Amino acid sequence: MSTKTKQIEKNGTSKLSLPSVWSRAFKSNSEWPDKEEFLDVIYWARQALGIILGIFWGLVPLKGFIGLLLFVLINAGLLYIYFTSFQNIDEDEFGGVWELTKEGFMTSFAGFLVTWIIIYSGLYHEIDKF
Amino acid sequence: MWADTLLIVFISVCTALLGEGLTWLMVYRTEKYQKLKTEVEKQSKKLEKRKETHGDSLDKQQKKKIEREEERLKNDNRDLSFVKMKSMFAIGFAFTALLSMFNSIFDGRVVARLPFSPVTWIQGLSHRNLPGEDYYDCSFIFLYILCTMSIRQNIQKLLGFAPSRAASKQGNSLFGPTAGQFK
Repeated sequence: MSTKTKQIEKNGTSKLSLPSVWSRAFKSNSEWPDKEEFLDVIYWARQALGIILGIFWGLVPLKGFIGLLLFVLINAGLLYIYFTSFQNIDEDEFGGVWELTKEGFMTSFAGFLVTWIIIYSGLYHEIDKF
Repeated sequence: MWADTLLIVFISVCTALLGEGLTWLMVYRTEKYQKLKTEVEKQSKKLEKRKETHGDSLDKQQKKKIEREEERLKNDNRDLSFVKMKSMFAIGFAFTALLSMFNSIFDGRVVARLPFSPVTWIQGLSHRNLPGEDYYDCSFIFLYILCTMSIRQNIQKLLGFAPSRAASKQGNSLFGPTAGQFK
């Protein structure tokens, strides 16, 4: 029994000894023994960012190609800063920067477009009416 | 116009839920599927780990073991695809019918205003069956596809029906060919 506990402590892989995914996601330099968990954090962060940017772009309203370009840059850039500077993870463990950047990107892009179009259409329609 | 936009978002949420519900009824809850899925996931993780530790070694025995496991995983993945296939076809047909119904309802109606001008090869989709040359007008099908792309995958992930990353990375299933296949 004691050997087992010691082993877990040494490896640091016991899920019980780690705080929840939420608190680890917001704390810098957290431990991520389960790769899937970290990739899920990246995935959901991307989705949230996509919707937030979509709402923001619609409210401004930002128009044209610049809106798309800014989304791609901010989405890739912010998450890159998150996993390299904030969490300080070893990208090679996850198959490289590209794999992490790809994670959930298309879904987030679609979510961004939908929210951007909805908000912009609503505003445009309002302007059109008056 | 805005009511149409919101209606389409609502429709795609409903169809995504309906699709997942039907797949759950016909596939996910069956014992055969669950057994195969856990097996594939277990094997994919094992294989990944083995490749990480012995990938570069020239040990013939290890190589053979990896090859054998890859073969087994391939077979299981194929079985998994076959289990899914029947219901996928049924759902596919039902959804094609539904889509054509919505298509005729929204025919010629501008459902949203795009904040950007789509590139030429997207215009065929974003301006489908719409009158005029104003490419900022958005057709039903374009918005529906975008909604489905974002909503369906997120629902799948939330409900835990999305295939695991390890499995999709390792597996060469019929519906998910990996890049490695084309190398």
